[in-house]
Amino acid sequence: MGAVHLSHDVIDSQLVDRHQEKIGRIDELLLELEEGKPPRVATIVIGGVARARRVGRWMLACHRAVHALLGHREEYESRIPFEAVRRIADTIELDVEGDTLPSMRLDRWLATHIVCRIPGGSGERK
Amino acid sequence: MKKWAEVALGVVTSIGGFLEVGSIATSAQGGAEFGYQLAWVLVLGTTSLAILMEMTGRLAAVSQRSYADLLRERFGYRFFLLPLVAVFVVSLLVVISEIGGVSIALQLATGIDFRWWAIPTALVGWFLLWRGNFTIVEQGTAMLGLVAISFAVGALKLHPVWPTLGRALLPSLPSHDRARYWYLAVSILGASISPYLYLFYSAGALEDEWTIEHLGVNRVTAGMGNVFGGVLAIASLVTAALVFAPRGIKVDRYEQIALVLATPLGRAGLVFFIMTLFVTCFGSTLEIVLAIAYLLAQGLGWNWSENLKPGKDARFATSYTVLILLASLPIAIGMDPLTLTNISMVATAASLPVTVIPLSVLMNDGDLLNTHVNGWPSNLALVVIALLSVVLLVAAIPLQLLGGG
Repeated sequence: MGAVHLSHDVIDSQLVDRHQEKIGRIDELLLELEEGKPPRVATIVIGGVARARRVGRWMLACHRAVHALLGHREEYESRIPFEAVRRIADTIELDVEGDTLPSMRLDRWLATHIVCRIPGGSGERK
Repeated sequence: MKKWAEVALGVVTSIGGFLEVGSIATSAQGGAEFGYQLAWVLVLGTTSLAILMEMTGRLAAVSQRSYADLLRERFGYRFFLLPLVAVFVVSLLVVISEIGGVSIALQLATGIDFRWWAIPTALVGWFLLWRGNFTIVEQGTAMLGLVAISFAVGALKLHPVWPTLGRALLPSLPSHDRARYWYLAVSILGASISPYLYLFYSAGALEDEWTIEHLGVNRVTAGMGNVFGGVLAIASLVTAALVFAPRGIKVDRYEQIALVLATPLGRAGLVFFIMTLFVTCFGSTLEIVLAIAYLLAQGLGWNWSENLKPGKDARFATSYTVLILLASLPIAIGMDPLTLTNISMVATAASLPVTVIPLSVLMNDGDLLNTHVNGWPSNLALVVIALLSVVLLVAAIPLQLLGGG
C-alpha cells in the first residue's frame, strides 16, 4: 500500500485488537509537535469524549453533563500510541489487549455484571 | 442445490418481512378511502425497496462491509450522526407500532385489553433474541409469515375488477380529499421503504456470510421477495377497497381491519387475520430492534453478531434488550397503536434522504465494489429514489397536518 490517506483510510476506521476483536473506531488522531522535529501522527483516541469534541462544543458539554450526572470519575477514553498499529486494511489492527482499554470499560462492566449473569449470556457461539 | 434452497429461503424471508403492521394499516386505510386508486404507490414503494435492498446486499457481499459501517467510515462521525439519529428515532417509533400490532392481535384472540400484552410480547421477543441465533430470527419469522398469503386468498375471493385494478397501477390524481390522498400515499411509501429493512438486510448478508458468489441470490431475493411482498400489500388494499369503500367505512381502529378477511373468509378469515397480524408484527419487532442494535454497534465499532453469545458482544446485546423493553412501554400505558403507526410511517418517509443519498456515493466506489459498481440504469434509479425521498421529506409534515386527521 502506497500513500495512506488519514481521512479516508484511517479516521473512523474499525479497530481490532490482537485477537481480532472489535474494540471501537478511530474517533480522533493526535499529532505530536516537538521542537526541532517534524510533526507526526502520534496517538489514536477512542471514546465518546473524542466523538463529542468532533461534533462541537455543545455536544461536548452534553457529554460531560451526562457523565457528571452518572457520577463517573474514571476515564473512559483510550489513548493508544500510533506505533501499536500492525496492519491497515478494511480494519486497522492494533497490538493491544482490548479488554484492558478504558474505552472498553462499559463493555466489560456490562458483560461481567449483567449480561453473563443472565442465563444464556456467557459462552462462545449460539 | 443448496444455492436454490437459499434463494427460496430468501424469497420467503422477504415475504415474511415485507407485510407488517405499517403496510397492513396504511393499505387498508388507502383502500377504504380511495378504492384501488393508491395501488400505484405500492408499486412505486416496492420497486424502490427492491432496488435499495439489491444495492445494500451487493455492497455487503462484495465489500464484506455493512452499510452502517461504511456510512460511518466514509462520511465521518459528524455526518454519521444524521442517519444514526434519524433511523434510531424512526425505527423506535415503528417498533412501538409493531408491538402495538402484536398486542392488538392478542386482544382480538383473547378479549384481554391490548395494553396487558405489550410487556409480555417484549419479554418473549427478547428471549428469542437472547437465546436464538440469526438463522432462527430470520427463517423462523419468515416461515410463519407465510400465513400472510391469506390476504391474497381473501382478495381473490372478493372478485376484484381486474381492469380497474390494472389501471390503478399507474398514477392518477384524486377526485376528492387531495390532502388526505397524498397523506396516505406518503404513509404507504413510508411503510414500504423502511430504512430498517435495508440496514437489516445488509447486516444479514454478513451474518449469513455472503460473498461475491451470492450476487445472484441477492438479486433474486431482493427482486422476487419484493414482488411477492408487494402483491400481498396490494391484496390488503384490494380487500379494504372491496369491504370498506362500498360501505363508507373509514378505518380508524385496528379491530376494524380484521373485517377485511372476515368478510370473504368468514370465521377462518378472522383467525387468519389475527395470525397474520401477530406473526408479521412479531417478526418485524425482532428485525427492527436488531437493525437498531446493528446500526449502533457497526457505527461505533462494537463487537456484534446475533450468532455470538451476548457476553461476547455485551453492548450490542444490551442495546437490543433495552430497546425492546423500552418500545413496549408506550403501548403498555395505552397509546393508540393505529395513531402511532400512522405517525411512524410518515416519519419514516421523511427520514429516507439521509440513508438513500449516501448510498449513491458508496455504490459508485470502485475501491469497495470493483467491477460491481452501479451501471447507469442503477444510478438513474437511485437518483429517482433519492429525489423521491427529498420530496417525501419536504411534504411529510405539511401532509401530516393537512391530511392526518
